[in-house]
Amino acid sequence: MTVLTLDPTTGGVDVGAHLTLAPRPRSLEGQVLGIVANGLGISEVMFDHLGELLRESDGLAGVVKVVKPSVAVPPWPEQWAEIVDNATVVVTGFGGCGSCSTRSMRDALDLEAIGIPSVCVGHDQLLPAVQALARLVGAPDYPMITVGYPHNPTGVWTKEEAAGIAERVVQQVRACLVAPQ
Amino acid sequence: MTVAEESTPSSPTYEYDDDVAAIEGFFERGFTDGMPVIPPTPARVEAMLATSGLAPDAVLGEVPTRNVVVTAEKTAINAVMAGCRPEYFPTVVATVRAFLQPKANAHSTTATLAGAAHAVIINGPVRKEIDVECGQACMGPGFRANATIGRALRLVIRNVCKTVPHVLDRASWSWPLRYSFCFGEDEERSDWTPLHVQLGYEREQSVVTLQSVMNLVQITEFAPEPKGILEGFWQLARVYGLGRDEWAGDDRGIVFLIGLEHSRRFVDDGWTKEQIADELYPKLTAETTGRLDKNLSLASPKNIHIVAAGGPGIASSWLLLPHLSVPTHEAIVAA
Repeated sequence: MTVLTLDPTTGGVDVGAHLTLAPRPRSLEGQVLGIVANGLGISEVMFDHLGELLRESDGLAGVVKVVKPSVAVPPWPEQWAEIVDNATVVVTGFGGCGSCSTRSMRDALDLEAIGIPSVCVGHDQLLPAVQALARLVGAPDYPMITVGYPHNPTGVWTKEEAAGIAERVVQQVRACLVAPQ
Repeated sequence: MTVAEESTPSSPTYEYDDDVAAIEGFFERGFTDGMPVIPPTPARVEAMLATSGLAPDAVLGEVPTRNVVVTAEKTAINAVMAGCRPEYFPTVVATVRAFLQPKANAHSTTATLAGAAHAVIINGPVRKEIDVECGQACMGPGFRANATIGRALRLVIRNVCKTVPHVLDRASWSWPLRYSFCFGEDEERSDWTPLHVQLGYEREQSVVTLQSVMNLVQITEFAPEPKGILEGFWQLARVYGLGRDEWAGDDRGIVFLIGLEHSRRFVDDGWTKEQIADELYPKLTAETTGRLDKNLSLASPKNIHIVAAGGPGIASSWLLLPHLSVPTHEAIVAA
């Protein structure tokens, strides 16, 4: 006699969702860069330097940063409001651990969903998880900017390394936040 | 919709030639924790659901970061797979609800590199009704209720909450506690107030307390009197420390499982759980002095949970240090 069994899952990560990404500005000039930092290691130093680099090179109108209350949770509601009310483009991260990388990607995708171009910065060792999260939310091809070894995934860097990482990723951040030229 | 339809599971189905083929098929589909599962037939799942009185589509909670909604039906399917008897299911439901409370931080505690596990601590009459081991060897193999209730939670975490290694489960090592970690409090050992009564429940209410576990620390201490034993507790706890997490806030807590040889020393000298926590609190929270002497960020002595468990012999207790979450608890409600 055959045995009929029931599926124990909620369908993996390809659940048929589709997310429409926010339209990109032509350049970052005059834009306000939001930084949704998760406080991992000293990654905040990297983000601060990244903001300074873009302010100087691209003519940002301003930078607004929030540091979330824990590495793998959404921002507090008032932090979310600060970003949504002020920022016109956003960078999130640092996605260097399993839960914080995926949550940082979710932060970026939630911002895309309300029309704010965003990008997540993380470590390449977390790409499988982050890509799975993006598929779950309906953006399977959503780019993530990654840093690799020799830099430790969890943001345990020197200040010089943090600044160096910002300098390495700045062009990619710009490319992800503006419309293709 | 008829009543029968409302109580009928609606999950997609897979047909196999026999139970062995189903077991192998579930391995191939990636539905297991690496060990064989009981094939979840509709009849087995319906029997599980019946003990809870819940409709299949009843929502037990969500993991918002992953767009996951956990229903009674999916929980029952995984409880069958874990090997639970139907009468365990109300306890499984309470366990899953506790896990899905927002402050249990389900996404963080299951995706983390740290590989946190989840301790399921059971209080109240249900321990005797379904034979939950609370004493000798309670943390290990050999007890169906302990093993399968803990396993049911882990299968829900894997299958329903999408926590699969190499995908959303990013544990660098993971660890054996992630197969199953469930036991009861030995309430009958002494006149100590059981944990659930300390939390505000009636003694006759059965309750699940869920604590994420980053570190499980054995404290072997042969001092013959309470203060000497507690010195061993706080000195070892301070080797690990516990940092402040703004999101978890003032509710973050730690759990000490007090072994029999320790608890009889405390009880003989008239120490209550509250006195133990009061004695430990200033020692645990005193300023950090070095790399191997780190303080624990705890808001009050009430954040130090004392649970009696384990058997006679070695004079040891255990400390459960949390991941980025707070202990949560849920009443067990049967149909």
